[in-house]
Amino acid sequence: MSSVNKQNASPDRKVELIDIVIDGKTVQAEEGSSLFNAIKWTGVELPAMCYHYSFSPFGSCGLCLVEVEGKKNNVRACTAKVIEGMVVNTQTEKMVDAQKAAIEKHLKTHPLDCPVCDKDGQCELQDMAYDLEVYDIKEGKRKVIPEDTRAVALDFNMERCILCGQCINVCKEVQLVDALCFYKKDKAKHVGAHGGETLDCEFCGDCLAVCPVGAIVNKFSKYTFKPWQLEKTETTCGFCSDGCTLTLETKAREIKVVTSELSYTSKFGFDIEAGDGHGGICVRGRFGFQYVMSDKRLTLPQVKNNGEFLEIPWFKAMIEIAKRLNDIKAAYGGDAIAGLISGRCTNESVYLFQRFMRSVLDTNNIDTAARYGHMNSVLALQETLKIGGATISLQELALSDAILMVGSDFTETNPITALRVKASMAEYGGKLMVAHNTETKMLKLATLPLQIAVGSESHFIQGLVKAVLSKGLADSDFIEKQPAAYTALKSAVAQISETVVAEKTGLEWEKIEEVAQTLALSKRGVLLWAEDIVSKTGAYQNVQRLIDLALLCGLFRKKGAGILPVCEENNEQGAVDMGAVPEFLPGQIPFDLEDERQRFESAWHATLPSASAKRPGLSLPEIIEAAHRGEIKALYLVGENPLGTLPASMKVREALEKIDLIICQDPFMSETAEIADYVLPVATFAENEGTYTNIVGDVNRVVEAFSPRDEVRPDWKIFSDLSKNLGHPIQYRAVEEIRAEINTLVPGYYRQDKTMQIGDLSEDFARHVADRYKTKENKKTDTTVTLSLQQSLYHSGKLSTHDENLMEINSKNFLQISPADAEALQAETGDLINIKSAFGQLEVKIEVAEALPKGLVCYPIHFNDPPVKDLMTVEVDAKSKAIYFRSIAVTLARSASLDLKVIASEKALQEREETESSAKAEQT
Amino acid sequence: MRKFLHNVLFIEIMKALKLVFSHYFVKEVTLQYPHEKTLLPNTQRGALCLLRYEETQEERCVGCDLCGVACPSACITVVSEVDEKEGQIVRRYASSFDIDITKCVFCGFCVEACPVNALAMTKMYEYSTINKRDLIFDKNKLYDIGEKFHGEAKGYLVAHNQENEDEEIVSQYRYRFPASRQEDETEPEKKKAAPKLEAAVKTND
Repeated sequence: MSSVNKQNASPDRKVELIDIVIDGKTVQAEEGSSLFNAIKWTGVELPAMCYHYSFSPFGSCGLCLVEVEGKKNNVRACTAKVIEGMVVNTQTEKMVDAQKAAIEKHLKTHPLDCPVCDKDGQCELQDMAYDLEVYDIKEGKRKVIPEDTRAVALDFNMERCILCGQCINVCKEVQLVDALCFYKKDKAKHVGAHGGETLDCEFCGDCLAVCPVGAIVNKFSKYTFKPWQLEKTETTCGFCSDGCTLTLETKAREIKVVTSELSYTSKFGFDIEAGDGHGGICVRGRFGFQYVMSDKRLTLPQVKNNGEFLEIPWFKAMIEIAKRLNDIKAAYGGDAIAGLISGRCTNESVYLFQRFMRSVLDTNNIDTAARYGHMNSVLALQETLKIGGATISLQELALSDAILMVGSDFTETNPITALRVKASMAEYGGKLMVAHNTETKMLKLATLPLQIAVGSESHFIQGLVKAVLSKGLADSDFIEKQPAAYTALKSAVAQISETVVAEKTGLEWEKIEEVAQTLALSKRGVLLWAEDIVSKTGAYQNVQRLIDLALLCGLFRKKGAGILPVCEENNEQGAVDMGAVPEFLPGQIPFDLEDERQRFESAWHATLPSASAKRPGLSLPEIIEAAHRGEIKALYLVGENPLGTLPASMKVREALEKIDLIICQDPFMSETAEIADYVLPVATFAENEGTYTNIVGDVNRVVEAFSPRDEVRPDWKIFSDLSKNLGHPIQYRAVEEIRAEINTLVPGYYRQDKTMQIGDLSEDFARHVADRYKTKENKKTDTTVTLSLQQSLYHSGKLSTHDENLMEINSKNFLQISPADAEALQAETGDLINIKSAFGQLEVKIEVAEALPKGLVCYPIHFNDPPVKDLMTVEVDAKSKAIYFRSIAVTLARSASLDLKVIASEKALQEREETESSAKAEQT
Repeated sequence: MRKFLHNVLFIEIMKALKLVFSHYFVKEVTLQYPHEKTLLPNTQRGALCLLRYEETQEERCVGCDLCGVACPSACITVVSEVDEKEGQIVRRYASSFDIDITKCVFCGFCVEACPVNALAMTKMYEYSTINKRDLIFDKNKLYDIGEKFHGEAKGYLVAHNQENEDEEIVSQYRYRFPASRQEDETEPEKKKAAPKLEAAVKTND
């Protein structure tokens, strides 16, 4: 038996075990670990409130008192370190009395508002007082402090606070945010933002989760529940690709609070291993549950009749849709039908959708949200290594000794996986290198921050490849096995000029060499790339170059090392794995592989659409183009909203209006649903069964918290019903049956311990490797300002904008602008400015952001008001067919209204006074 | 001989008569039920009731539903609500509180579970009715019983060691809602200033 100390658990560090005596028993403990941990491992229950395994001991509550021989005073076990030959007594009468006295001390200042407190029943102070039989609580000086309700999602009740400091420590040591601190006000100690100001942080709510009493309160569910009324359902979050495990706590078919492991697991961390997450969730997961109960949810199928929507029963809708689909299929063939499915549907729904489209409607025109970027990573990896995703696990990410992040605002897009990265640096001593064009939160934390110039990602990556080769750091294994590729690469990078790279990226060449050296010499290096690489021009080539870099650094060979391509939506990876793209059958099997096609045909009792070069199946941009030409007659949209997502320059509306039949399956009435012929209401993640595949390929279960409201149905039931009406029934009684079918067709997909089988490099690799390093003539552009669409921490896609809570926390549709640009425009935060691109202009409010470099403005991709995305142009990648519309050159100008504002405000004041005086006159 | 005498003199009958007639002089035991009632102890578990605080006449119940959780026959349903005043919560109460007395087993667990001593048992046991639905006691009826049998309810709580007769001690255990601090001292000015700009922008459009 030995106690583990998470802080010292880096794989590189060798720990020595020492013997200590606890209550007469000799036990082993790691040298330098907390005495508290060692005692806990013997099975002794020590009361403690300020201790938590995820951060270092703090010692503020004074409950875990023990007797150490040779010391006069009682010792706080948490802050004491184990020493060889220590003799500790925990169960003596004196100790129990001391612990009782400590609890009494806390209870004397704690208010007795348990009947209305939200923590009642889960309160650690309550439990400990009960366990140790402390009942004498009536006399004492209770604090009288008004509740701090200024912050947006969290209330601070300092009467209940026992000043244990867990919230402060979790914020500082796990989140590395440091938003909370102790401060003094009116002679009382408070917890809150620095200087007692209004808290304005990420609102991850981890402080709420670790609070042992009810001092930090969830504003959105305050006083509306009691813990014993709640039913708990453990499911997977439906927002980003982290795939965090959430506990939905429901009362009478309403989600009241969302908690996670952090709120419930033993804070003593018995089963915590090095590299495990701390079990928390982010702001989206914790507070973004209101949309499930939204009044705006669709409840019945609707049909468009003379421009108006009429509600119809399900059976009628199914019959009508089936009839029209059958007619179109008979008249124009399967090629005239296309389908788009969102990256938010469960694996089972996606699987059934593609089976339905391919075997019943005889079309291969299906695509998914991965086409907005992630397909670049998947296709490039498939081409070179026959893998289709990340090659590391989350534990390996946390335990890596060098991470290079390229083009990723990781704390905003994937806040919980970002915590693993933070842990790898802060806890396990890894090196973190972040290359991004803005000064992101991660870049500020990085050991090697690399703020590169806007749009210079490609130069940066090429520079890295060159640096690895020129310094002779290339993996010897790679050189041995692929001599042809190695020489081809070496000659290809020879013409890359160091000075050009340095000039374009704005970094010194030595720094690029340092990055290359760190990654190449690392034992467990990780290469991570994200939206700025995959959804901007030249993505496919950039990903290929990154794979070259990973090969050169031996990341695919070393144990614990690997790559991590980041996708945006929660099940983008799963949607590709389940074959909702024209290129692949389920399991990322190429669609034109004859043997595999036969396997699927016999399993599905149907013939697959032909895979000839003439009709390879259309991807998302091709579907829109074909619709434009009038070749698409029916479009089935499952959770996709091309009108809301794609820029107007793609003429989506025009294209969609040419389609005879649009079926839209969505929980909400989206922009596209409004022009659809049939709108079918579907269940959200809380009402759904199935699985999501996360960023690293883990398959996580989604569990139904309550049955779907009203007449809403889950996706798979709708496909199943439709197939029956179309005369090719695909029937299932439950999701488990679909899961079993997937398991037979894609063996081992649900296994938790699956590893990517990295294939050998193809012969083509060496032949084509040089192509991507041929420097193109850089078009000389006179762009001074680049507009970029960015993801916000508080939102995910368009879905979260339907959520009242998240919109209350953050609904800033502001254009972020650098201080230098703002000064040039003489504008301040909140002013309207005019932004103009080749495709139009509009007025938008600005917010000055320190992190941005000069010449870059950012707008959250989630908001369409004002429709900034319509300023964008669309580029389609020649190879991967991915759509890029995230950045464009713009010009900024002072808005005319900005000059008029002063006058206008005076005018408004005058008008207001006039109306007020007239109102008064009327009253009299 | 003795037996003979006993038979002749009807000793046995005389003994019986003595016992019978002696009861003419004993204090009567039978209660004339509708007119007379038994004296019940304070711990008697009769009909349930809800109580108010004496001084403020405010409802004690905070609608926490702990009674419903403790109830072994699941006869209590509580729906809670909160009262807001100027954006600050001032009261938490049960908007509906139903006890199905036909299901109730009079175990008294609910009273024991109640954190604010809002529930109590009275000595009242007469609630027979010709309408079965009347036996689902709703919130109003429970408060009516509580008002009518206030003394009995108090007595029950004291007898079960849940409340002290000493008012001062009781008030020390009383919960109260935390006051709310909505804004900082310096902030209101800023907040007031902001909407003006927005209004100006709107008029300009």
